[in-house]
Formats: sequence, structure tokens, C-alpha cells
Amino acid sequence: MSTTVIAPLLVALCTAILTLLTRPNLRLLQGVSLLGAVAYLGAVAALFDRVVGGETLVYQVGDWAAPFGITLVGDALAAFMLGLAAIVSVGVLAHAVLYVDDFGQRLSFHPLYHFMMVGVSGSFLTGDIFNLFVWFEVMLMSSYVLVLFYGGKQHTRAALNYVVLNLLGSAVMLVAIGGIYATTGTLNMADLARRLADPAAYDVNVLPVLGLAAVLFSVFALKAGLVPFQFWVPAAYRAAPAPVTAMLAGVVKKVGVYAVVRLYFTIFAAASLPRALSLPGLAGDSALDFFGPVLFLMAAASVLFGGVGAVGRDDLDSVLAYSSISQVGFIVLPLAVAATVPSVRILGVTACLVYAFNHGLAKSLLFLVAGTVRESVGSTDFADLGGVAGRSPVLSAAFFVGALSLVGVPPLSGFFGKFLVFDVAARAFATGAAGAAATLAVALLGAVLTIAYYTRAWNAAFWGEPSERVEEFLGDDGSVVPDGGQSTAEAALSLGGMVVVLVAFAVAVVAFGIGFDVLYGAAEAAARAAVDTGGYVDAVAPAEVVE
Amino acid sequence: MSDDAPANEDVAAAESPRPSDVDRSTTVVARTVVRVVVPIILVTAISLLLQGHNLPGGGFIGGVLTATAFVLVYVIFGLDYLQATILDRRDEVDEGMVSVYRRLFALGLALAAGSGLAPLLFDLPFLTQAVLFVEHLPLYGELEVASALAFDLGVYFTVVGALLTIIAEVGAE
Repeated sequence: MSTTVIAPLLVALCTAILTLLTRPNLRLLQGVSLLGAVAYLGAVAALFDRVVGGETLVYQVGDWAAPFGITLVGDALAAFMLGLAAIVSVGVLAHAVLYVDDFGQRLSFHPLYHFMMVGVSGSFLTGDIFNLFVWFEVMLMSSYVLVLFYGGKQHTRAALNYVVLNLLGSAVMLVAIGGIYATTGTLNMADLARRLADPAAYDVNVLPVLGLAAVLFSVFALKAGLVPFQFWVPAAYRAAPAPVTAMLAGVVKKVGVYAVVRLYFTIFAAASLPRALSLPGLAGDSALDFFGPVLFLMAAASVLFGGVGAVGRDDLDSVLAYSSISQVGFIVLPLAVAATVPSVRILGVTACLVYAFNHGLAKSLLFLVAGTVRESVGSTDFADLGGVAGRSPVLSAAFFVGALSLVGVPPLSGFFGKFLVFDVAARAFATGAAGAAATLAVALLGAVLTIAYYTRAWNAAFWGEPSERVEEFLGDDGSVVPDGGQSTAEAALSLGGMVVVLVAFAVAVVAFGIGFDVLYGAAEAAARAAVDTGGYVDAVAPAEVVE
Repeated sequence: MSDDAPANEDVAAAESPRPSDVDRSTTVVARTVVRVVVPIILVTAISLLLQGHNLPGGGFIGGVLTATAFVLVYVIFGLDYLQATILDRRDEVDEGMVSVYRRLFALGLALAAGSGLAPLLFDLPFLTQAVLFVEHLPLYGELEVASALAFDLGVYFTVVGALLTIIAEVGAE
């Protein structure tokens, strides 16, 4: 049993506790926090190195054997998602150290941030659906406070919506998990897959499990912000501080996507449907064939709703929030194809993961740019902005790179994400699969909408003549004109630091595009692990329960 | 507590001479009951904590029970009473006990996580527990030393620290 599997979780946990203990000294606190994030990246890299070849590492916490104890499973899929979380987390934290005010950082920002990472890591690593619920809660509890961080009237209302919705979601999730336990007699994912594959031997009724899986699915869709569960997204993203929004959009949303891939492609795929339940036009009888059309409808609606919504917004934050809904649609769209057309299953999951990775990186970058603009100019309304590029070219270039990546321009990593989505849809179309033409049309329309709203945002905020407000707050040489307590030199220094972080993010977006082979290899290994139900069950090897 | 309970004040005034330094809005009955009950609650909480690893109980429930004892003291004797008697200072109402609770919370988490990490030194998985029976002790007989107690103690401090931080902060507002 290798400690490598649990290392990311432990590093995040220890960092969170250390940041609680070092409260009195802010510089030490920030140092510990950043060091912890870098150590987390190191721990994830070590795990990634072990499992990228296709090996599945299993860790039994407390030495209790599989179906009874707490099982952690580190495979290529978990490592891929952890890698995304670790890379985004280091950058966002570096930005947050400069962005969040000293009082907030001293009060609770760092412990909450790292506890959120504990929850994220746990969700990716767990091999047990009840523990998945627990880690979701760990992640959400921290995110509640982080969304509420500013505590103004509007912020509180938005955050309250977010809290109530997610609590409802958690309650539904718990009920569904309880139902699955009652029908199958196990909570361990590998054990669940084994029982669903051979329901007669274990006396399991598959139909209620399918219904409960559908209920669980609605919870994951809520976390991922898919239509029709997208309504919390814009308000919560506007209310939270920029680095928190970057984490919510870049990493926390992906936990919902990961849960869909892991539970439906690895676990519930083992179940087969009675023929009477198959939908007309679809030949298969796997549980995935049931979820494919559902995934497609939600993804298509998200792509279009988010895209049209983003085109009509009048401030940078809202455009990015609606864009986030649309992009999650793009992430799930290839999953829908992968679920219905077995021949492109691995490619579909790969496309989903590559797109998720690119979106995590690029959208975090864009939210951080929006936060930096708010910090220096004091507003993100298009009415107040304009011509930022003339005054602060590096900041604008970072936005430009992020936007181009999401639009899908080569050689940025976003190009390959979009390309793979189209590739999957086209291959499905070639096999004559039902709905493949609709998928292509939705993807095409979504891509056009993406170009439209990013062009509009770029023209309104960054291009053209500087607006009055931009002229007032940004000097000719890009320096910040004092706006209250901070002295010019100090403000300029912290703004300069933020711009350095943003440039690092932009360089990463370009680097993952140029060195795409590495990213593709990792995503493909992850996709292979995701669809390899047998390998997963064999690796965990849950003991047979004698009743 | 002082402004919003005039009815209690009248009762207290009618029944007993009021002690000068204790909050005037509570009755002598309530104060006496709390004096008797709080030690009982604390002993029960500690016994629940100590037996938690193999009988009903544990760090969480022990911590909640301990917090209720503190809440009773807060309700009956007022927010400043604990600070004045335990820390022996009457200033800094907000940061006095609250900073103690916060430290307790952090230390509890560190203890719980540390007890989980300790088995890694012996090449065992995270959170592995061990138990040792010490026998033939004079007077006491057999003593069970369980490593799970360290984890429970961490949970106990975390729960006490977190609940009392919330109560003291919200109570002060």
C-alpha cells in the first residue's frame, strides 16, 4: 500500500491546519500557505507519475479491508483531475495573496482555501459513494464561507442562494446514496460495480438503482452548473472574491463533472437495462444508454443558454459567469456522445477531460483578470471600461490569451479541446449514430456564440480609447492612481505581482497547447481508466460479504 | 442578557438580595442550579470522551456536552464572567476567550491529524489504530490504552473550540 495515493489529501490537510496555527504572523501564514500549495503540486505529480502508465493504486485507510473501510483509489483519472486542481490552485493562491485584503487573509481565507482543496482531493480520490458525499460537504462548507467573504448586502443574498441550493442538493444526494445502499447493500464503488454487473448473484434489483442514479445525476449537474440547474452560477460568481470565483469555476465545478465520469462511466455502466426501458432509436442496453440522451439535452441547453446569456451581459464578471455555463455544456457534450456510441467512448471521455483541463486553466485566468481590473479600475461594467489595453497592455494580453483559448485558436490548449469535441461528434456521425448531427450543430453554434461574446467583451473593455474611469485610475505608464488608503507605490507593486501571476497562467495556456502531446497522453490514460470497470474492481478487490 | 429580561429581574428582586458582581437578570434558582449542574455535565462529557472508542460516546458528543456546560454559564452569568474568572482580566471582551477557543480549535485539529499521521512513521496506513492492555496495576487492575483516544481528544478540542467560538462571537453581537 503506497502513501503516494493519500499524500495530496494529507498535504492539503496539514497546510490547512498549519495556516490556522500561524495566524498571528501574516507573512509566515502566507509563506506556509504558498509552500503548501507547491507541496500539493509535488504530491500530485508523484501520484501522476506512478499511475499514468495505467496502474491503479488502492489505499485502505486505517488498514480496514475494501468494502468495510474507507478506500481511496488513485488511478489515471483521479490523477488527471488532481493535476488540474493542483496547477490552478497554485496560481490562484499566488494571486489571492496579493488580491485579498490583509484582514481577510489573517481572518480565515487560507485555512478555508486549503480545506476546500482537502474536499476537492478527497472527492477525486475516494472509492466509496458515501465518502464522496462527505468530501463534497467538506468542499462546500469551505466554499460557502469563501463565497460570503465580502459580507455585503448583495453578496449575502447571492451567497444565501448558493448555500440553500447546495444544502438541498446535499440532502437529495444523501437520500439517493441511502437508497443505493438499501437496494445494493454496499457503498464501496468497486463492490457496487461488481454487484450491478451480476445482479442475480447478489440479489440486487437494478431498476431502482437506475432511478437513484438519475437522482444523484441531478445533484452532480447542480454542482457542475448545467442547465436546468445553472441559475445559482451568475449571482454566486459575482458575489465571491475573484480568486474564489476562479477556483469555483476552474476546479469545484469540475468535481461535478468528475463525479459523472467516475460514477456513470466506471460504476453504473456495469448495469444493464431491461430491454423495455431502452429509448427508441438507441440499440444498447447499458445504463449509459439511458444517461446519454439526458446528458445531451442538458449539455446542449447549457451551451446555448450560457452562450446567448453571455452575449447580452453588460459587465465582465457576468459575461464570464454565463460563459462558464456554456463551457461546461461543451465539457459534457462529448460525454453524451461517449455514453451513446461505444466505439468513440474513450475518445469522448478524453475530449471531455481535455476540455475540462483547458477550461479550468483559461477560465481561472479570465476571472483573475476581471478581479485585477476591478481592483485597479474599481468596476467591471462595460459602461465604465474601455481601452484598458492602451494603459495596461500586459494585463490585457493575458485576457486575450485566455479568451482566444476558450474560443479555440491554435496553438492554444483550447483549440485541441474544441477540436476533439468536433472530432468525437463527427466520428459518431460517421457511424450513423442518432443525434450526432444535432451534436455537431450545437457545438458549431456554441463555438460561434463563444467568438461573439469574447469579441464583444474584448472590444468593450480592453480595446479602443480609454474611458474616463480608466484614464482616472490607470496612469499612462500603467501605474495605479491612488484610490484611498493604499499608496501608489504599494498598489502598483501588488498590481504588478498580480500581472506576473496572470502572465504565468497565460504562459501555461500556451505551453499546454504547444506541448499538447503530454496533456493528450494523460487525458487518454485517464479516459482508459474511466471506462475500465473490470480493472477498477480488480484493483480494489473488495472482499465478498458473507450474509 | 441585561436589557431584555426585565420580568426576571423583578422576580430576582422579590426573592433574594442581589449579589453585586453577578449579572442581575437571572434568578437565584437558576444560578444555584447551574452551579450544581455544570460540574455534573463536565464529568459526564469527560466520561463519554474516555469510553468513546469502544462504547457509545466519543470526542464529538463529549465536545458538544462540554460546550453546553459553557453555554449555561454564559446564559446565567453573562459573557464576561468566564473571562474574568478563568483569564483573570476584564478588558478586551471580544478577543479574550474567543482567541483561546480559536487556539483550542486549531490545536484539536492538529492533534487529530497528528494522531492519524503517526502510524505512517511505522509504515502503517493513515489513521491505523492500536490498543495496549496494561495489567496488574495496583488498585486499578487492568487499564486499556487505546490510540484512538488521541484522535477522540483532537475531535473533542475541535468541537469545543469551534462551538464556543461561534457562541462567543454571536453572543457578543
